[in-house]
Amino acid sequence: MKKLKNSFNGLSVVKILIYAFFGLFMLLPLFSVFLVSFTGQPINILGSLTDPAILSSTIEKFKGASLENYKQVFSNAGYLDGLKNSLLLGFLVTLIVIVICVPMAYGIARTKMPFKKTISALCMVPLIVPTFISAYAFIIMFGRSGWVTEIYNVLGGEGMLLNPYSMAGVVTVQVFFFFPYALWTLVAAFKISDVSLEEASQNLGAKNWFTFIFVTFPLALPGIISSALLIFTVSFSDFGTPIVLAPKELNLLVVEAYREIAGFFNWGGAAILTVVMVIVAAFFFWLQHLFTKGKNYGSVSGKPKQQKLIENKTLTRILSGYSFLVVLVPLFAMLSVALQSVATTWGKDLLPNGYTLDHYKTIFTTSMGNIQNSIMLATGALVLSVIIATFVSYFVVRQNSSKLDFMASIPLVVPGIAFGIALIQTFNTAPLHLTGTAVLLIIAYTIRRLPYMVRSTMGAMRAIKQDIEEAAINLGATPLTAAITIIGPLMLPGIAAGSILVFITVIKEASVSILLAPPEWAPMSLAIFHNILRAEYYSAAAMSIVLIVLVLLLQGAANLLSRKQKL
Amino acid sequence: MGSVIINNMTKKFGEFTALHDINLEIEEGEFFALLGPSGCGKTTTMRCIAGFENPTSGKIYIGNNEVENIPANKRNCGMVFQSYALFPHMNVFDNVAYSLNIKELNSSNPVKQLAIYARLLNNRLGKHPKAIQEKVMEILKYVELDKHADRLTSELSGGQQQRVALARALVMEPAVLLMDEPLSNLDQKLRHSMRNTIRTIQQDLGITTIFVTHDQEEAMSMADRIAVMDKGHIVQIGTPTDLYSNPSTPFIADFVGTSNILSGTVAGEENGLVIVKGDGFVLRSANKALKDELNVIIRPEHVKVEAVDSIIDDKKTNVIEGTVIMSTYLGSIVRYDVQVGSYQLIVDTTYSSGSNIFEEGRKVKLTVEHERVLLI
Repeated sequence: MKKLKNSFNGLSVVKILIYAFFGLFMLLPLFSVFLVSFTGQPINILGSLTDPAILSSTIEKFKGASLENYKQVFSNAGYLDGLKNSLLLGFLVTLIVIVICVPMAYGIARTKMPFKKTISALCMVPLIVPTFISAYAFIIMFGRSGWVTEIYNVLGGEGMLLNPYSMAGVVTVQVFFFFPYALWTLVAAFKISDVSLEEASQNLGAKNWFTFIFVTFPLALPGIISSALLIFTVSFSDFGTPIVLAPKELNLLVVEAYREIAGFFNWGGAAILTVVMVIVAAFFFWLQHLFTKGKNYGSVSGKPKQQKLIENKTLTRILSGYSFLVVLVPLFAMLSVALQSVATTWGKDLLPNGYTLDHYKTIFTTSMGNIQNSIMLATGALVLSVIIATFVSYFVVRQNSSKLDFMASIPLVVPGIAFGIALIQTFNTAPLHLTGTAVLLIIAYTIRRLPYMVRSTMGAMRAIKQDIEEAAINLGATPLTAAITIIGPLMLPGIAAGSILVFITVIKEASVSILLAPPEWAPMSLAIFHNILRAEYYSAAAMSIVLIVLVLLLQGAANLLSRKQKL
Repeated sequence: MGSVIINNMTKKFGEFTALHDINLEIEEGEFFALLGPSGCGKTTTMRCIAGFENPTSGKIYIGNNEVENIPANKRNCGMVFQSYALFPHMNVFDNVAYSLNIKELNSSNPVKQLAIYARLLNNRLGKHPKAIQEKVMEILKYVELDKHADRLTSELSGGQQQRVALARALVMEPAVLLMDEPLSNLDQKLRHSMRNTIRTIQQDLGITTIFVTHDQEEAMSMADRIAVMDKGHIVQIGTPTDLYSNPSTPFIADFVGTSNILSGTVAGEENGLVIVKGDGFVLRSANKALKDELNVIIRPEHVKVEAVDSIIDDKKTNVIEGTVIMSTYLGSIVRYDVQVGSYQLIVDTTYSSGSNIFEEGRKVKLTVEHERVLLI
């Protein structure tokens, strides 16, 4: 009896609330989408619990449950094509990214390549740009009236160098904007593979290229496979690029699922596609997890090995030039957006016809609401995720709650569009009618970004030893006072850095915003998306630049904070 | 100030029993050491006293008050942690002032509480009252750190950090001072001087102190009394000399100082002496034998080494023959490993220049006085 009283304090109430939050807004939607994939009609689980009439209709629906939808995956040409194309897309992007990145990673990790720092810095560009903006930037460059097309035609080519509205277009955008995800893992992999083995190979008379292919490359292989799996998941789940670029005849799962729900209200179809997406993404995530288990490529141990860097002038110059070519593509894409945002008109010419700030003026007068919405929604998600993540990491680190740890990493494997569909379906009707409200949008953002926030707060929590907390209590502080005066200040830099990242990713978020945002709460990303659809490219460009500048500023602040934390 | 009494305390972690029926009475002003190998339960005992763990059964009294329902933050036990657990975001002064601020916090109105929280979060947000300032500076002077009050704790040396931790625990005038392996993070030389510092301060303030350590030398040199623990049990409680000269079990004999432990059988009595026989030896002891199968304990420094041809009266002392396996010169003493039967006895002899060292392989005679043969 005494034990029970001791364990039932304020903190355990918080723990129950967090479980309830995950259960209601993450597990329940995913579960009900799973059910709908059998019944083909929306299931109101919450309603069934409260209202007997709904319960009986739910039971009716279950009687009609069948594997019909699952058969459709293999019979419906649209679905099957969607699955095939999505897998093909992921496969192509992964292959090309690895081929492109291996020389760059080798150059950064192993050689005294000139301009290494500049190249590394430029690799950040793709990471700060939301994919639907990069897709749109490629239209400015490679589209029918793009400047690259113009140069190509002047040089004697016919038509377009690369049609952005095609599989090739989607692949190209994803390759150039997702490669940094693989690059740094690869750099780490090349750094740890053993130099002495390579020297041994050379000592035995092997040529440099021979050594690279038969010694260096195989040693880095686990890192390469792991980053390949990561890229596959990212490409497969990406919504921003396909929704802007994929033509009608190119079926991709994410787009297909979006059309089923937003265009036709086909619940069964959307549900089955969601289930397929989650299964594929979870499978590849699991594979990647399997590969990195026990191997920590990201972190550097206390004693880095002294490595001899290759100085061969010809090799390093070639590598440097090549790397510049790769990083310049996303940079040019962004510069194109910037140019368009200040252009009066920009037809099929190398440069705009004239320059103006009118588009920005328009944005700051008519679209101020979208900017405000973005900031308010992101702030809401930030506050919610700070609170949840702080408590989750407390329970995981201090009470070894591995269930919560697992729970908080589920969002990693659920593609945004899939999660959005699940939420819409679940909260579409009474008793919890949240679809179309800002609340559901904030909750969706929060859950989507929680894994990153939790990682950041958990790191900060781990760094605080338990005895520091005990010391405060020993000196007379209540647990709450200790939390305010000792734990809080010590965790603050970690929380701040994590919450800025949440803020950034929420502002960049496309899939959930497009699915869930009601018109009066349309954030910047949705406004840009609509502008692109309506071919209002100039204001889309200006809004994109505002968004990117906002992200850049916040990223700078986050970097400053994490640097301070290290000192 | 107060005494600490523990009655029948048992602590279980799930299936594992960390403490078996612990009974302790620590007097007011006493310097008491909990000594034992790692995992013996000494730290758990201390954490139960501090209130960080709840005993599964049994009672703890601090200054005659039963403390079961007093939470850790109200027990008034100053604790010095093994890692010191200094607050890294506060300077020396703020670390030491922490408990005084908390005390003021608990007796203030909400508005004043906000002000105290503010200065706890950042010392530029508010000044400490004069009483706190004086008290902190006084204790810092006492541990010779008054010149470092503004430093961050990370800028201090290990010994200085140790003294901050001590000052922080002492400033709250605790009923009991608890120290968990406080010297283990210091280097050899500093450890010796800190022993003296801690002992001096303890004597000076007359504060009841419980000191956890695995280092028998540390416990022997500092504590008034020692409780030796093993596998969750208290094996023996006594003064350092008690433990050394009358170990109650072979474990104590081995853990407290170095011992030769031989197993033997009682073979009879002669002139009030017990005769014990074992593998390769017959020994007579002036001590009482409580059972027939027993352990013979002989301290290395109680054995003398003589040449094998020297004539010794074996009525007055024990004589055993053996072979030197190894001799180690340790400056003031020479340590021999001598093979006797199946045992290798350790023998320490004082060395003065000129005396000769028996080299390896030599046959020797070992002598041990009857009183020095302990039977347990």
